[in-house]
Amino acid sequence: MARVKLTNVKKIYQGNVTAVHDFNLDIADKEFIVFVGPSGCGKSTTLRMVAGLEDISEGTVEIDGEVVNDLQPKDRHISMVFQNYALYPHLTVFENMAFPLRLLRHPKMSQDEIYRRVTEAAEVLGITQYLNRKPKALSGGQRQRVAIGRAMVKDCKVFLMDEPLSNLDAKLRNQMRAEIILLRKKIDTTFIYVTHDQTEAMTLGDRIVIMKDGFIMQVGSPSQVFDKPDNLFVAEFIGAPKMNIVKTNLVKEGSKYYVTPFGSKILVDGEKGDELKKRGYDSQEILLGFRPEHTVLAKKAEGACHATIAVNEMMGSELHLHVVTDDGAPVIIRVPTIQLNDKEREEMVAGKEIYFTFEGKVMHFFNPETEVSLFYDEPVTLEEVNEKVEEIKKDVKELKEKE
Amino acid sequence: MSEEEKKVVAQEATNNPTAGEVSVNSLAYTTGQEVVKAEKKEKRHMGLKAKRILGNTVVYIVLVIMSIIWLAPFVCIVLQSFRCESTWMTGYIIPHKWGFDNYVRLFKNTKFPRWFLNTTIISIATAALQLIIILCMSYTLSRLRFKGRKALMNAMLVLGLFPGILGMIILYRILADLNLTQQNAIPGLILVYTASSGMGYYVSKGFFDTLPKSLDEAARVDGANRAQVLFKVILPLSKPIVIYTLLTSFMGPWGDFVFARYVSFGTSDGMNVAVGLQNMLGSAGSINANYTTFCAGGVVVAIPITILFMCLQKYYVEGVTGGAVKG
Repeated sequence: MARVKLTNVKKIYQGNVTAVHDFNLDIADKEFIVFVGPSGCGKSTTLRMVAGLEDISEGTVEIDGEVVNDLQPKDRHISMVFQNYALYPHLTVFENMAFPLRLLRHPKMSQDEIYRRVTEAAEVLGITQYLNRKPKALSGGQRQRVAIGRAMVKDCKVFLMDEPLSNLDAKLRNQMRAEIILLRKKIDTTFIYVTHDQTEAMTLGDRIVIMKDGFIMQVGSPSQVFDKPDNLFVAEFIGAPKMNIVKTNLVKEGSKYYVTPFGSKILVDGEKGDELKKRGYDSQEILLGFRPEHTVLAKKAEGACHATIAVNEMMGSELHLHVVTDDGAPVIIRVPTIQLNDKEREEMVAGKEIYFTFEGKVMHFFNPETEVSLFYDEPVTLEEVNEKVEEIKKDVKELKEKE
Repeated sequence: MSEEEKKVVAQEATNNPTAGEVSVNSLAYTTGQEVVKAEKKEKRHMGLKAKRILGNTVVYIVLVIMSIIWLAPFVCIVLQSFRCESTWMTGYIIPHKWGFDNYVRLFKNTKFPRWFLNTTIISIATAALQLIIILCMSYTLSRLRFKGRKALMNAMLVLGLFPGILGMIILYRILADLNLTQQNAIPGLILVYTASSGMGYYVSKGFFDTLPKSLDEAARVDGANRAQVLFKVILPLSKPIVIYTLLTSFMGPWGDFVFARYVSFGTSDGMNVAVGLQNMLGSAGSINANYTTFCAGGVVVAIPITILFMCLQKYYVEGVTGGAVKG
């Protein structure tokens, strides 16, 4: 139960390879935060710096108001679950879970208390019947539960999880994901969870930190990063199948905005249109993004885009159509199968020509050079706020003097 | 179809490549081909089997010869130790009169018990100290990253290439100055055997390298310091390598002769078994008198090591191969 604050944290490996650049994040008490990004983006390194398993090259890490840069992992009051479980093979499940408790000194924990805590955790995780087994005799899912149990028994300030589900098969992963959500309510502490899977990030996190090449690309709630991605990377990373991106023109006609992808002309309406107007954008080249699930099949009509199906993926509840437009751009369209009758479903095969369209209110606009969203606001820094405060104070003072 | 008929059909089939056009012929063709194939296969199979048996026989003969050559001296020593005729050259191997005379003489008339005790003390102390030093050293080099780690490892590798004998005279000088020779040979020898033991880290470091690093990390997050990680997590998982290290460091001093002779020079109280037994055969006359007693001593010395090995052989083999396969 603690606030974790990372200030200008950097990790530079020998040979000047910078794994993490200037990482700033304030994690609130009892928040569930998820670091997500492709492999090699520095998310695990950052977590390990919080854990004390990696040295911090620059910057500070604070846990509960205390700078922990030079503290050993054992003195940081953290628990951690590892990707490969890291269970002690020579100890039984009970002893594995009791291990952190037996190491406690000042005060030493009584045998009864150890027994109580381990059995309690085992009950929560449903592994009571395996307590006398060695890890070797457990399945992957059971081992992961033991690993979580071992992290649970100790009172910790921060609960760290380093890709805990990536070694499980897909079905078990979904099940464990749901269990982690339930578990979180029981443990009630600050969580930092690392994953490369955007579904896990979206379902688990209060806030998601999306990273790339050691930089934070965006920090926000799951709906924020999904609906309002700050940049192209976040837009493409979050959501499956990934967002369609096309280079096109934003055209201003009077007070209305249009986009012209694939030779069509689509009105930008709703909030997005208002926002463009408010920010005073003029006609310009942009990268237009629209999600496969927001794309709909259309009848041949003005404004609809023409394309040919290249690949169809039947997912059961939905159909993923990989189509190629007339100018050769690949687009993915997600069609719920319930909208199609049997005949239509059979017709949706490679080579069939279709029309599709999408609405203005679901569009995303990015600057083609910087790849930053047209709606992105630089975050206000503390200095700027302070400056503003000083200005106001000055004004107030002047006013008073005038009076 | 008899064997002959089959061959005829096969012959026909091979001579008639258009057989597929007529159904009867095509049937004959397939059966014929199959027969040929099966025969070939059987022949090949027989050939392989014969080859394998032949190969094995040769290998076993060679191995048996090697074993005989290898074991002959040991058998001779054991036989001599039970011989009651006490002369050196006899012209025969199997004793004419059997008995325990030599063993009785060994324990009654010589200082053998003292030497045996000396050797045991030196070996146990060395094994214990070496075990601690080697395991700590290997764990450090395997897990911790510090400046000069690579340089240290390379330096030790190069130093290890020099024969230890090179330092003998200077070591004697140092021990003499510390008054650790002759009567005080036991602590002196323990010091000599233990001093460079850190250099024997290769095998156990290789073993530790195969244990997942995340185990260390998990233990450290769970609240263990480095020493606790080593003793509570790593060592219980490293039984083979602990036993391997213990055995090798016990055997070194147990059979050592050169250093032991130098350091204990001149006093029989500081000698170990190897030096003491060799001393018994010091002059031409004494060889004749003591040869069979010497053999008895040799057998007694081999007993503890043999027992140790028989009990721990499984771990020893695992330890030697442990660097490659996770234990």
